[in-house]
Amino acid sequence: MPEITPSWAEFVAAWPLFREAVLCAVTAGGVLGMLGVHVVLRRTVFVSAVLSQVAGLGVASAIFAGMLFDMHTEPMIGAVSFCLIATGSLALRPERVRLSREAMLAAIWVAAGGAALILGDKIAAEAHDIQSILFGSAVLVRPVDWMLVSGVGTVCVIAQILLGRGWLFSGFDHDVARVHGLPVKLLDISLWLCVAGMVSVATRALGALPVFAFTVLPAMAALMLVPGMVGVVPVAGLLGLLAGGLGYLLAWFESWPVGASQTLVAAAFALMAVPIRLLRAA
Amino acid sequence: MSEPILRCTNLSVGWNRKAILPAISFELRPGEFWAVIGRNGCGKSTWFKTILGMIPPVEGEVHCAPDVRMGYVPQRSAFDEIYPMTGRQVVALGADRGWSFLMPHTAEKRAAIQHAIDQVGAAPFADRPFRSLSEGQKQRVLLARLVTARAQVAFLDEPTAAMDAVAEEEALTQVDRIRKELGTAVVIVSHNLDVARHHADHVVYLDRNQVAAGTAEEIFALPSFRKRYAASLDDERGGWKEEPTNA
Repeated sequence: MPEITPSWAEFVAAWPLFREAVLCAVTAGGVLGMLGVHVVLRRTVFVSAVLSQVAGLGVASAIFAGMLFDMHTEPMIGAVSFCLIATGSLALRPERVRLSREAMLAAIWVAAGGAALILGDKIAAEAHDIQSILFGSAVLVRPVDWMLVSGVGTVCVIAQILLGRGWLFSGFDHDVARVHGLPVKLLDISLWLCVAGMVSVATRALGALPVFAFTVLPAMAALMLVPGMVGVVPVAGLLGLLAGGLGYLLAWFESWPVGASQTLVAAAFALMAVPIRLLRAA
Repeated sequence: MSEPILRCTNLSVGWNRKAILPAISFELRPGEFWAVIGRNGCGKSTWFKTILGMIPPVEGEVHCAPDVRMGYVPQRSAFDEIYPMTGRQVVALGADRGWSFLMPHTAEKRAAIQHAIDQVGAAPFADRPFRSLSEGQKQRVLLARLVTARAQVAFLDEPTAAMDAVAEEEALTQVDRIRKELGTAVVIVSHNLDVARHHADHVVYLDRNQVAAGTAEEIFALPSFRKRYAASLDDERGGWKEEPTNA
């Protein structure tokens, strides 16, 4: 965090400096919160953890490749490429080698995290970037990152509006959706492309930890807070958006790492939803 | 006799190009009630899924009349109850077919959903969470979904497996009513021989060594069937016991 007195007046004064970072967090939180409902309902939360970790490795690999070959490499391309490869690997059938999907995901997650840390060690000058990528301690976000997050986010929101009912049907009752002639494979691919795309651009801008948190915790909170299915997606989006914005403010006033603060706010939403859910059930 | 809406010719089902059941040919016509019986693990669900196009046949073919609307009620375990859907939302899924999910539900569709809910008597619990409903209530919701789907052929995979005798009879009466009112052809997998006896016009018997289709009397007279279901049949009365035993 910058060495300045954390106050509202100064936050407002410094707004042009932090604008992209806050807008980026709010947009990523909102969009990932919405997509996260499908991720949580399909019991695939570790897929998003793996994608965000792999995106981090992609960024680190791009930086390392740039150093190695003495050329400029765009970290975003590394994040997107690695995420797409990881998404493609989900189509493999690990049971053919007597492994469960969870075991395969865990192996990718651990390997990606370890590799990113080793690369971080190799590129000491960029070590701060690697730390930012993995744990989300980035304070400032480049305008190009904000543009990418908002562009991919817009596509994801449009996809949610158009395909949301299809995603829900194919997730809840895959076989009947097939019998009814829904394009279930296309629906599944489109959902995972949206998740992979949003995770890659958001990880580059915000870091793997808050991106994973935005994908899982607001959706969990919304599923506990909202009775029925109608309203879960918008409420999850709203909570994700709030976690992004309030997390940034918390980091500013408490001089905490940004990604960790955003993660804590999202976790607080999920924790607060538990007693509300229990009270309603009683 | 009306034209068949579904025709299976020399259909052989299985996995990895290996048949698990002998081949069978049959034709299904509007309004017919078919019961599929066989022991656990004999391949009933694989047979069903092959006809529904989810698994490719090992041999033979399944031919549907053009634009025929299929409906399917999978086994109870197929639903992921983590989804916080209400009964009404589950019924509403029946209205989606092909790419129709791209458009919002019209007032006409919403009225059809309500009509289906009323038709099967699911109105009192339609707005409760699906996962909180009893097995009998869930079954009514799924039948309402079939009605909403305006299915011309309905495949029901052990729909009454978790029900007590009263709920089971109620559910089967509902299925029969839908069949008569809408002319839906019904194909139902059941372990209960009473379904074949009281409700079905045709019975398909699936066994590792024999697959046969016919009336209940014809199937129940098969030596292999009598051997398999000896405990459920009452030879002295030339038929079956009044209190059926689930196989």
